[in-house]
Amino acid sequence: MNYYTCGSHKGNYPPSFFELNDIAVGEEGRLVTKAHKKFWEDYFVPISRETIPIFRFQYLKEKWKNGTAFYSSVSDIAMHPDYQQIIGMGTVAIYFILREMKENPDQWFWALKAITGEDPVKSEDRGDVKAMTKAWIKWGKENNYLY
Amino acid sequence: MSQQEIELVFPSLNSSNYQVTSSKTPNYNCIAWAVNVDNRWWWPDQQNQYYWPKDIPREETLSAFIKAYSLYGYSVCNNLTYEKGFEKIAIYTNFQGKPTHAARQLTSGDWTSKLGKLEDISHKDLNVVSGQVYGKVSVIMKRSNPDF
Repeated sequence: MNYYTCGSHKGNYPPSFFELNDIAVGEEGRLVTKAHKKFWEDYFVPISRETIPIFRFQYLKEKWKNGTAFYSSVSDIAMHPDYQQIIGMGTVAIYFILREMKENPDQWFWALKAITGEDPVKSEDRGDVKAMTKAWIKWGKENNYLY
Repeated sequence: MSQQEIELVFPSLNSSNYQVTSSKTPNYNCIAWAVNVDNRWWWPDQQNQYYWPKDIPREETLSAFIKAYSLYGYSVCNNLTYEKGFEKIAIYTNFQGKPTHAARQLTSGDWTSKLGKLEDISHKDLNVVSGQVYGKVSVIMKRSNPDF
């Protein structure tokens, strides 16, 4: 599950407090642990996906990448519901997108233009994904989104 | 993407009728790859962010795609079998008639396709990538090429 992979969480039910073995743990303790684990899985993880921007971005990004990997159509790629939700995150998403595209170039140009209203790509570089990525990274640095 | 995952999306593909021929890259798409371009993503997007041949309507219609390929010497034909002296391409459309994919014939008679943001594959038959994702082949075009 990719939505745990950012930040300090590695995807497992994390608090070491709950990794106590069964020795000297009574039935009540086990019930409390079980209830807490259920709370973590049912409440905290979905809520964090919705409310913590980086978790939300990572979650939507993975779903978008998986859902559009086979597409050539830019409009199909950009109109994917998860991509639209990333655009809906607004300026908060700019840093995440720029950082992501620096590591893994992809079709983020529509989203960046939609959020910022800008397009730093030269007309002769249209479609040149490497040059387009470079232009947006430069824009990100000039506008203090990247350092 | 693994071959298993590719075969899940295109159930007609199996190890005997296709091969992965490149590593995955977002640098070009099938529309560019059909004319042997491997450093541009071609699409007639309304945002004007991607490459599209000058003076060809920026619209996602079969006629716009035919006009774009015509600039490269292709003309519509009705025969998808290999013909000596001719290079062929195929344009796929979805159920709405919107272009989704293009493939190019190789000198062997097989076809090469760039799968979205993923790998290139060579495949024996055009229909093996038909289906839910790319729809079906709507147009075949050809141009003279002495290397074929």
